[in-house]
Amino acid sequence: MSQEKVGAVMVVGGGIAGIQSALDLADAGYYVYLVEKTAGIGGVMSQLDKTFPTNDCSM
Amino acid sequence: MNIELLTLAEVENISGSEGNFKVTVRQKPRIIDMEKCIACNLCAEKCPKKVPDEYNEGLVPRKSAYIKYGQTVPLKYAIEKETCIFFVKGGNKGQKGKGKCRACEKYCPAEAIDLDQDFQDEVKDINVGSIILTPGFKSFDPSSFDTYQYSNFKDVVTGLEYERLLSSNGPCMGHLVRPSDGKEPKKIAWLQCVGSRNINKCDNGYCSSVCCMYAIKQAIVTAEHTTGDVEQTIFYMDIRTHGKDFDNYFGLAKALGIKFVNTRVHSTTPGPNGGVEVEYFNEETGQRVVEEFDMLVLSTGLEVSKSVQELAGKLNIKLDKYKFAESSSFSPSATNVPGIFASGCFQAPKDIPQSVTDASAAAASASIALSTQRGTLAKERTFPPEKDVTGEEPRVGVFVCSCGINIAGTIDVKALSEYAQSLPNVVFVDNNLFSCSQDTQVMIKEKIAEHNMNRVVVAACTPRTHEPLFRETMKDAGLNEYLFEMANIRNQNSWVHSKEPEKAFEKAKDQLRMAVVKASMLSPLEHLSVNVNQSALVVGGGVSGMIAALGLADQGYETILLEKTDRLGGNAWSLATTWRGEEIKPFLEDLISKVENNPNIKLYKNARLKTSKGAVGDFVSEVEIEGEKRAIKYGIAVICTGGQELKPNEYLYGEDERVFTHFEFDKELLEHKPALEKAKGAVFIQCVGSREPDRPYCSRVCCTHTMHSALELKKTNPQMPVYVLYRDVRTYGAREDLYREAREKGVIFIRYRWKSKPTVVKDGEDLVVTVKDHVLNRDLEIRTSYLVLASAILPADNKDLVDLYKCGLNNDGFLQEAHAKLRPVDLSVDGMFLAGLCHYPKPIDEAIAQAQAAVSRATTILSKAVMPLDSIKSYVTDNCDGCAICVDTCPYGAISLTGYELDGVEHKKIDTNNALCKGCGICEATCPKHGVYVHGFTNEQLKAQIYAALENV
Amino acid sequence: MAEKYEPVIVGFLCNWCAYAGADLAGVSRLQYPTNMRAIRVMCSGMVHPNLVVEALERGADGVLVLG
Repeated sequence: MSQEKVGAVMVVGGGIAGIQSALDLADAGYYVYLVEKTAGIGGVMSQLDKTFPTNDCSM
Repeated sequence: MNIELLTLAEVENISGSEGNFKVTVRQKPRIIDMEKCIACNLCAEKCPKKVPDEYNEGLVPRKSAYIKYGQTVPLKYAIEKETCIFFVKGGNKGQKGKGKCRACEKYCPAEAIDLDQDFQDEVKDINVGSIILTPGFKSFDPSSFDTYQYSNFKDVVTGLEYERLLSSNGPCMGHLVRPSDGKEPKKIAWLQCVGSRNINKCDNGYCSSVCCMYAIKQAIVTAEHTTGDVEQTIFYMDIRTHGKDFDNYFGLAKALGIKFVNTRVHSTTPGPNGGVEVEYFNEETGQRVVEEFDMLVLSTGLEVSKSVQELAGKLNIKLDKYKFAESSSFSPSATNVPGIFASGCFQAPKDIPQSVTDASAAAASASIALSTQRGTLAKERTFPPEKDVTGEEPRVGVFVCSCGINIAGTIDVKALSEYAQSLPNVVFVDNNLFSCSQDTQVMIKEKIAEHNMNRVVVAACTPRTHEPLFRETMKDAGLNEYLFEMANIRNQNSWVHSKEPEKAFEKAKDQLRMAVVKASMLSPLEHLSVNVNQSALVVGGGVSGMIAALGLADQGYETILLEKTDRLGGNAWSLATTWRGEEIKPFLEDLISKVENNPNIKLYKNARLKTSKGAVGDFVSEVEIEGEKRAIKYGIAVICTGGQELKPNEYLYGEDERVFTHFEFDKELLEHKPALEKAKGAVFIQCVGSREPDRPYCSRVCCTHTMHSALELKKTNPQMPVYVLYRDVRTYGAREDLYREAREKGVIFIRYRWKSKPTVVKDGEDLVVTVKDHVLNRDLEIRTSYLVLASAILPADNKDLVDLYKCGLNNDGFLQEAHAKLRPVDLSVDGMFLAGLCHYPKPIDEAIAQAQAAVSRATTILSKAVMPLDSIKSYVTDNCDGCAICVDTCPYGAISLTGYELDGVEHKKIDTNNALCKGCGICEATCPKHGVYVHGFTNEQLKAQIYAALENV
Repeated sequence: MAEKYEPVIVGFLCNWCAYAGADLAGVSRLQYPTNMRAIRVMCSGMVHPNLVVEALERGADGVLVLG
């Protein structure tokens, strides 16, 4: 295998942390694979009703 | 565009090493064709198979054909092969079961389901340079605990289940009822620390960090989801609201009448009235109490799931004793495998802002490691040159979407299309089954050319999801993308008026007319961008500032680092070790030498920022370095101005040399260790200057620091009596181990209340601390050799910075981030970021992570030489007479007043800054003279829409 | 009056919250009367008071500014 570095990153897990990592890296010039176990991203945060401090919905 | 989303996918294997990994990913078939699915919900509606809905924590069923939730990404349905009747009964293999069910296939209007294909898992090898693991947590399962009766009573629910019960898209549609009988609960209790802070059974020794806040939040919002007269009680051990502005929220909960009872509940039993009886010991009264509640919420903790542990095993990631990914304080996102980083709750239980911060930190680590390869694989789309349509009469093309039957089922789209023909400026009308499909895009492009259209209207779903797609088509067709308008006849019409088709049709006509009128008035907008000065400014040379500067410099960006004193390092010089026991001094010395020797870092000591002009990508400032002024230019700035330890003015501090702050006591321990052997004892007083009316926030680090110092004392002299006088012990996460160890080693903890603070007096030579013990209900007198005050952490004085950059402070004087949850390291001013104590008190590992996160956020700007800006901005019209009313109303400071000369007379006029303007149009609404408008939303355009809406009135 | 009174309402909906909420109402298939005509704005703060007056003068029975 060639030892040259690859300008792509894999993020495993599509919750809020994975989404943030993926967005940052894509915006910084890398190709990102976001691997999510379920049928859609969003993770636990999408299940929350509202979040502190504004009590706005977490969508 | 540069994110490839692989859903229903898991990592199977990995080979290679840092910089060049080969990852094997197994992806389950979605069954439904994502290209064709229009998310109309028919497959789920017709699917006869019900399975528990994971998204709703199994409280209600979903179908085998499903989406996770209404706003899920990708918004495409899937069929679960494991439960689908068709597949369970043999699928399309062999004769058995063939032809069974197939309801979804039959009803799908978009032909997105073809069950006769061969559906196999897809296994693919993917080549990447770095890997970031964010597999998340699972909620603790309390089934095995008989104490809580979770398995026996429907009305005992976990925190996450309660979250779903409250949610407007949950099983109760936002009106809370209890699961057993569908009645609204009138009395609800939360039991804290379920599965956390306990090692008796199969629960976890660590604190899950988030449950106190979520219980408080749930208690507060419960009132909104019920008819209001609900009684809420939270049973807790310590309230841990140690995050930014969290204590205020705790205060709000108390003010709202939510009861907080300091006890660990003994047991729960069925109540006589169908509820749950809770038995506990009331510390205040010393009585055993039995109280009945309608519902119990178990504030279940966070833990790493078995499947994530297996994933870690496959990748050789070391886990700590609690099965979280092992990490160090100095490189918080690194794992033991180079090139693989971790963030989120896989590392430790943490809240959303911390997860988002750490996720950016991990992105920074990956970005730094691969910076030579930046841009090599990222893709960019190209478009044909744009046609000039200025001066042309509007020629509007209208495309009416049927959206399968989503629109056509309610609204007569044929008649609507005919109506569209009659509208002024319309040159072409078509009706599409799916206007958003790929082949329709090709068709739209052809029709634009064929009919020489210069405006396009699509009457379909919402512009919030589909406008970007059609704008791409406009660009593809050589038209300015802003010559486009949508009429939302699905989400805001056919879906919400499905029982009134005639009225819906009338509304659709109005919507379409409004859109055509608006489209006719649209003008092409300029593609705005700023040239980015690809260099950075970091203000503050503490650990956060140095980490930020190094992270930027290591990616090749020139970075100016300003330090106001003559020495780098800041508060870290006063700290001995991290909470994990890592020595800080060697790390600090190494960091300073790296910063001083980095060719990309220009370090200015004794330096102060004097002025600032410009905006993101192009800032200009004047700095004063040792009295000399110098101009600097930079594209982004990271603010790390730090904080300091409060010098108390109580408890004889400054009057008796035996009274120390934490920093001072660390030094004392280091320099006069032998004296400890003879010491009579030590007392720590917590929350000195914190959580008081003047300074209502928690300083976050002091409880852990106290545990560390107390253990140090016990190590040196195990016989020495050590007392900690506290209000709530806030040793979050695995720091809880230190608290447990301190208790085991004999450190005595006494809770005091803010209203009856301890007192300190000198009795002869003796230092005497008196505190009221609430368990014994009497005053205790302690004679001590050392009194350590866990004093508050104050932010640096940021007033000048706030004036310079127009950023904000919170009530406590800490810099205010752009969004508490989603943008925790961005300031509200674009291109500015923050890290460290200037944001909020935090330990060194969190400060480092935040500084790295700031690097990641900054890199999203610095990595491009030209940064595109949205075109919807305010602009000045000829009517502006420089009255300047708008200048103060602009929330982004984007408007300034300039002077010009006309025929020898001085005139004034405003000037808008495109980089700062967000297009909100508050200026437009404020201006009495039509002197400032927002592109695409001018007063004339909005007025035309009103007229169009009311044409038939 | 033979016909039931049907007021005409002009709504200004903020793209980021109220308009998104109206979209979500659609996704959730909530049913509501058809009387409002929505105008999407980038912020409810963008709505000039004159526009509200204008709508009323032109015959609107009510104006909603949602944000």
